[in-house]
Amino acid sequence: MLHAKIIDIKKEKIEVSKAEEFVSSSKFGASLIFRGTVRETNENKKVTGITYDSHDVMVIKSFEEIYKEVDKKLKIKDKAVYIEHVKGYLGLGEISIIIAVACPHRAETYILSRYIIEEIKKRSPIWKKEHYENEESEWLKGNPIQAN
Amino acid sequence: MKVKLELFGASRDLSDKDFLEFNIEKKISIKDLKKKIIKYVDENFKGNKNFKKIIETSAFCSEDNNIISENYKITKDQKIGIIPPIGGG
Repeated sequence: MLHAKIIDIKKEKIEVSKAEEFVSSSKFGASLIFRGTVRETNENKKVTGITYDSHDVMVIKSFEEIYKEVDKKLKIKDKAVYIEHVKGYLGLGEISIIIAVACPHRAETYILSRYIIEEIKKRSPIWKKEHYENEESEWLKGNPIQAN
Repeated sequence: MKVKLELFGASRDLSDKDFLEFNIEKKISIKDLKKKIIKYVDENFKGNKNFKKIIETSAFCSEDNNIISENYKITKDQKIGIIPPIGGG
């Protein structure tokens, strides 16, 4: 069971309560909610906010691929996964990503949640532009995507 | 034919719009399209090294949202996305 969505922050909110609801089931004995938020410093610079950009279709496709491959790679078949990522401007402390997972046992939830965020960072076409106190801003260096 | 290059991430700094358009006389590979984008940077941004680096390290995606290789041939009017190095989360 997967929920995958890009939240355009100009039009709607990203809400932890929806993630909690999605992963709540008596089928599962453990659930975990990961939130990524905007941090106030990066590489000794004072950050005031981040603008997120996204290739929406490819991002959703990458979330679906990550979800599907978990069966084989992690041998976690029984699971609920909720992934939402924001695009647009966020201020300090605001949530950029929610990954909620639920599995029968706790060990699987930790493994699954960590796997998903690490794969998103490697594979999902999302970009960050940091804004600083001096009103400058900068696109962050990322990881190149390789063609197959 | 026309190639509409959709801009994402750091490549958005190449234009005020969300895309660049290139008029191409004959079929062209992604490798050659990259050269055209670099020429555009030379002409419009005095060869800005950062912009050139972004182009050189970017992947490209087709209209059907698949990452394509440098040998991919564009043979008709179409949209191509430029995918600079990524880093969400």
